[in-house]
Amino acid sequence: MCESGRILKLVWKPALVVLPVLLWAYPAAGQDVAVGSATATVVTTISVTASSPLAFGDVMQGVPASIANNNASAAIFEITGQAGSGADLYLQLPEYLALSDGSDRMTITFGSTDASVDTTGAADPAAMNAGKGWQNTNPYNLPAAAVIGAAGTDVYLGGKVIPSPSQKAGNYSGDIILTVAYNGS
Amino acid sequence: MMGIAYAVLVLSSLSGYAVSAQTVTSTNDLAFGNIFPGVPKAIVKSSVGDAAEFTVTGTTGAEVTLDFTLPAYMYTTGANMPLFFSSSDCAVDSTNPQDQSNPSANNLNPNGTITYRIGSNGMSVWLGGRVVPGLVQKSGSYTATIRLTVAYTGF
Repeated sequence: MCESGRILKLVWKPALVVLPVLLWAYPAAGQDVAVGSATATVVTTISVTASSPLAFGDVMQGVPASIANNNASAAIFEITGQAGSGADLYLQLPEYLALSDGSDRMTITFGSTDASVDTTGAADPAAMNAGKGWQNTNPYNLPAAAVIGAAGTDVYLGGKVIPSPSQKAGNYSGDIILTVAYNGS
Repeated sequence: MMGIAYAVLVLSSLSGYAVSAQTVTSTNDLAFGNIFPGVPKAIVKSSVGDAAEFTVTGTTGAEVTLDFTLPAYMYTTGANMPLFFSSSDCAVDSTNPQDQSNPSANNLNPNGTITYRIGSNGMSVWLGGRVVPGLVQKSGSYTATIRLTVAYTGF
């Protein structure tokens, strides 16, 4: 064997030893996987029901009539949802009541103290007091801090109708809309 | 003789590159807590105990890739809820100690591959996200799987 052949043999023998070491000592292609989770609890859907209308009963031509928010004839809205959660409350109030055939209408007004928010869920306007939530508050700007009570929350609403001296006789009505939504608090 | 000397050098060099296997562990879930129907909620990656957290170990100084498999929805029986991850919802820290409120790499995109080096104390990976419940989202407990794959790049 020539000199160069001996050199090659010397090179290849250590190479056979080195190769397995290379494969063992370089596990860089490995990977690991971790599995985590995202979790959330969606609370009870908020709902509102108009359980009692604002009922003025009989009114006389030319004689305004008022219903206080603690009167048994006050409007009652009942709200249910996740107890302790904050809710935004927004009333859309009519400017007049109308006959069903649209032939006449009667002015209705709401004062700045015509609403109460009862967080006890009692649905009883006559039993409302300041310790139960917000009494005599502005129906156009209901409390931003309103929360849903353990038994629900109610909104009581009074108002005033002003019939004209020539108000046409008949049954007048108008829509009062309360919109409620969680505010995330 | 030149060949022998060369082979021995290679052996020595390879011994110096022996690396320990990397591991990744989920140490905290992405916890949204209570969700109100119609009210989106976000968890930021710096929120301790709420953001998802993964812990990576391996050879100090080794470069790794981080690849999330992210869910588009959270699920409960009979309903789902959209879940979003923005291009800045991830943070990584391989300093010692690691600081979730001031990580060494912040505002990373979890929707693509993230490349970073493991520190002497390993590496922590944090992930935030956002859920968007519907107005009449069904109540209940929702879950989703977040998968993180970690691999050495060889550098």
